[in-house]
Amino acid sequence: MPRYFFSIRHRPGTRGLAIDEEGDELPDLNAAREYALDVAKDMIARHRTDMIRDWFDCSFEITDEAGRHVLTVPFSDTVPEEDEEQLG
Amino acid sequence: MADLQQSFVRNRLLRALSPENFALLQPHLERVEAPFRRVLITPNEPVGTLFFPETGYGSVVADGSAGRVEVGLIGSEGLIGAIPVLLASDRTPHQSMVQHAGEMLSIPAGALTEAVAQSDGLRTLLLRYVHALSIQTAATAYSNATYTTEIRLARWLLMCHDRLEGDGIAITHEFLSLMLGVQRGGVTLALQTLEGNGLIKAQRGRITIRDRESLIATADGSYGGPEAEYVRLIEGA
Repeated sequence: MPRYFFSIRHRPGTRGLAIDEEGDELPDLNAAREYALDVAKDMIARHRTDMIRDWFDCSFEITDEAGRHVLTVPFSDTVPEEDEEQLG
Repeated sequence: MADLQQSFVRNRLLRALSPENFALLQPHLERVEAPFRRVLITPNEPVGTLFFPETGYGSVVADGSAGRVEVGLIGSEGLIGAIPVLLASDRTPHQSMVQHAGEMLSIPAGALTEAVAQSDGLRTLLLRYVHALSIQTAATAYSNATYTTEIRLARWLLMCHDRLEGDGIAITHEFLSLMLGVQRGGVTLALQTLEGNGLIKAQRGRITIRDRESLIATADGSYGGPEAEYVRLIEGA
């Protein structure tokens, strides 16, 4: 299984990226996105910190084993858009 | 272990014993290697052996449907297995495992309870340690319920630092997230904050303490209470 790395962008600049050096093995990019959304939900609900002003300004910057950026998952994606919600 | 002398032992409980009480335990102590992740006490099975850590430390871990969380940290100040055995239970629902490799002095549970039955002084000291450990567990519950991840991480790093010789702690973010019961991403964020303030240096699989005093200030009173209580109870200061 490929390994994906889930760094957290929490503000602009180099100090605004918390780099994940360990990563997780997941079947594919779609699974990586689902995993990122699950983790984001849990962090928004349970992670107490004075460092993050607004979780919805944060995103997961997902990279692959070669260090290539493969996907950005904004924490705001954990909440469906209003019209999506109505459709669902 | 015939050649083991009290003055060469590093475990603070064993050092605090009177020579007579140490002599009750000494013939039963065996020096053993404790590699990372070795399970020392298996949940819900009779405890056959207890461990006095000399170097390195173990974690007491609670397991549930939401994952594993550390509920106790035991190094050279303590005795792994003390709570069930000294409180007359042959087993515990909690696992104890090696979190930082080192050396420990093992003792069979039967030999320990026999020695305790022979000496009021030995029993008193070990029960005081059980009390000290319950204070640590209560402080962990308080921290988990009230403090930010940064403060909890600072407290935890200080507790590990107390139990190590040098300033380097071998630990991955993944393992740290298990110990603190938070997402790995939360650990990474908190480490970045502490590192940005110059308190630690975080490398892959290793955290180095750079400014202990500021780390204590960051811990915001969550660190130090149980440690002082241990000294008062065990070392009489």
